[in-house]
Amino acid sequence: MTTASTRQWPVALLLSLTLLLLVTLSLPHWHGLFHWLQPDSKQVIYNRDGFFTLLGSHLLLVLSSGLAASLTGIGLGLWVTRDSGRDFLPLVSTLASVGQTFPPVAVLALAVPALGFGFKPAFFSLLLYGLLPVVRNTIAGIQGIAPAVQEAAQAMGMTPWQQLWQVELPMAASVIMAGVRTSLIINVATATIGSTIGARTLGDPIIAGLINFNLAYVVQGALLVGLLAISLDSLFDYLGRRLYSAAEGH
Amino acid sequence: MTYNRVILTMTGLALAAALLLNFITFQPNRIAPGQEISLLTAAGLPATLLLMALLGLMAALSWRPSRDRYLTLLLLTTLTLIGLPLAVASYAHQHLPADMPYARVGLGSGFWCMGVFLALLVVETSQRLAQQYRLVGMQWLVTAATVIGLWLLGHSGALDRLSLLQEYSQRQAKFAAELQTHLLLAGAAVLIALLCGIVLAIAAQASVRLRQPLFQLLNLLQTIPSLALFGLLMVPLSYLAAHSPLLQALNVRGIGWAPALIALVGYSLLPITRNTFVALQEVPAQVLDAARGMGMAPMQIFLAVRLPLALPVIIEGIRITLIQAIGLTSVAALIGAGGLGTFIFQGLGQAAMDLVLLGAIPTIVLALLADVLLGLLTRLCHREPTP
Repeated sequence: MTTASTRQWPVALLLSLTLLLLVTLSLPHWHGLFHWLQPDSKQVIYNRDGFFTLLGSHLLLVLSSGLAASLTGIGLGLWVTRDSGRDFLPLVSTLASVGQTFPPVAVLALAVPALGFGFKPAFFSLLLYGLLPVVRNTIAGIQGIAPAVQEAAQAMGMTPWQQLWQVELPMAASVIMAGVRTSLIINVATATIGSTIGARTLGDPIIAGLINFNLAYVVQGALLVGLLAISLDSLFDYLGRRLYSAAEGH
Repeated sequence: MTYNRVILTMTGLALAAALLLNFITFQPNRIAPGQEISLLTAAGLPATLLLMALLGLMAALSWRPSRDRYLTLLLLTTLTLIGLPLAVASYAHQHLPADMPYARVGLGSGFWCMGVFLALLVVETSQRLAQQYRLVGMQWLVTAATVIGLWLLGHSGALDRLSLLQEYSQRQAKFAAELQTHLLLAGAAVLIALLCGIVLAIAAQASVRLRQPLFQLLNLLQTIPSLALFGLLMVPLSYLAAHSPLLQALNVRGIGWAPALIALVGYSLLPITRNTFVALQEVPAQVLDAARGMGMAPMQIFLAVRLPLALPVIIEGIRITLIQAIGLTSVAALIGAGGLGTFIFQGLGQAAMDLVLLGAIPTIVLALLADVLLGLLTRLCHREPTP
C-alpha cells in the first residue's frame, strides 16, 4: 500500500506549479481583464520589473535565507542536545518558543535601523525568524527519540557521530522537516512585506498598487505570491509524505 | 558545574556589543542620518570602566552559582536595564546644543544588542532559580521592576530628550487611537473566529465527511501570504461597495477595516477550529457515558461537561490565534486599516527610524502580553480538579 501511495502523482504539486508558471508567463497579456478592474488608468500591467524577475528574486530571498536558517537552526538544535552545548538548552528552547510570538513585520522593521534598506535587512530578518521553528523542531525531534533506542545504539558500539548520522538524524528527520516547512511558508509571506524595506520581491506590485490606487497591480502581485505559497506548501506536503513512507520502511 | 557558561557568555556578548557597536546616535533632526557615537566617546573613560566593572562583576557571579549569587545577578541586571536609558538621556540633556531644538539622541545598535543579551541573562538566571531553587517567576519580577522603573523615569521627564520619546510625545493622541484600533481589529477578529470556530468544530465532529475538506480549505487559507489576501479581498469589496449604498454607509470600501477584518477572521479560523476540534475530541468517552447515565440532556452534557473539560486546549488555541492576529493587524496598516503598523510603514516611508520603533516595539509587547496572559489562563484552567 505504501508503495502505491508513493508512486501516486503529486497532483496538487504539479497543478499549482503549472498554474504558477502559466500565470507568470501570461500575466502581461491579460490586458482585458485588468482594464475592466482598473478602467480609469492607462497602465494596467505592472512593468517596473518583469514578473519572472520578481518571482526569481522573491524565491532567491526566501530560499537563501531558508537554507541558511535551516543549516544554522539544525546545527544549533543538535549542539544544545549534545553534552558540549547542553548548558544552553533551556535558554535556546525558551528563546525559540518566545521568539515565535514576535510579529514577523516587527522583526522586519527592526532590521532597518541596524542594516539599512534593501536585500540585506530582509535576508537577515528572514534568517532570524526562520531559525526559530527549525531550532524548536530539531530539539523536539531529537528529544522525542526513545532513550532505549539511543542506549541500544550505544551498546552496539556506535561512535557519537555514527549515532547522530545513522540513528538520531533519520529518526528526527520528519519533525525537523516540518520545522523547515513552517519556516519557509512564514518567510514567503514575510518576504512579500519585505518590499516595504526595499527588497525586490513579488510584494512590489502590491505595494506599488496600494500607493497608486491601482487595483490591477495589487491583484497581479497577490495572485503570483499566493500561487507561490501554495506551490511551496504542496511541495513540502509531497516531500513529507515521501519521507514518512521511507521511514515506515520501503 | 563550577561555573554557569551561559551567564559568562551572555555577559561577554553584552560587553562586546557595548564596546564595539555604536552605542548612541546623534541626529540634528528626526530624518537626517545619525552620527554614530561609541560608548567610549559618549561616556568617557571613567563611565566606560564603570560599566565594564559592572559586567565583570556579573561574569564573576557565574562562578560556583548559588541562590544568592543568582539573585544578586538579577538585581544588578535590573539596575543596569533601568540605569542605561537614564544615562543616555542625561548625556542627551548635557550635550544637545540649546540652539538646535530638533536635535535628538537615539539609542544605537550597541545599546539594543546589550539590552537583548541582558534580557537573555535574566531568562537564563530565572530558569536556573526555578529549576534548582524552586524560586518561580523571578523573570516577571525583573520585567515588572524594569517596566515600572522606566515608566516612572519617563513620567518624571528624565528621558524626554531620547528620540523615541520625542517621537511619542509628538503624537500621543494618535498613538492612543492607533493602539485602540489595533486591539479592536485583532480582538474582533479573534472573537468572530471563536464563535464561527466553535460551530465549525462541532460540525466537523458530527460529520466525518465535512472534516477533511473543511481543514484542507482552512489550511489553504492559512498558507496564502497576508498581504496577498488583503489585496485579493480588495477586488470584491470595491465592487460591492460601489454597488451598495448600505455598505457605503457602513464605510465598507476596498481598503480600510473591512478587508482587514475579513482576512484576519480567515486566518484566525484554522488555529481556533483545529484546537477546539481536538479539545472536544479528547474528552474521554467514559465521562460522556457517565453524564448520559446521570440523565443529562445533550445540551447540558455539552455545556456542563464537554466544554469545561475542553477549555484549556480551546484557550491555547485562542492564545495562538490572538498572537497571530496582533502580528497580522500590523500588516493591515498597508491597506489603510490603521493600527500600530501605521507607524511602522510611515516610518519606513520617511526613513524615520524612531517612528518605526514606535510601531514595532509596542506590537511586540502586545504579542508577548497576549502570550503571557492567555498562558496564565490556560494554566489556571488546568488546575481545576478534574474527575
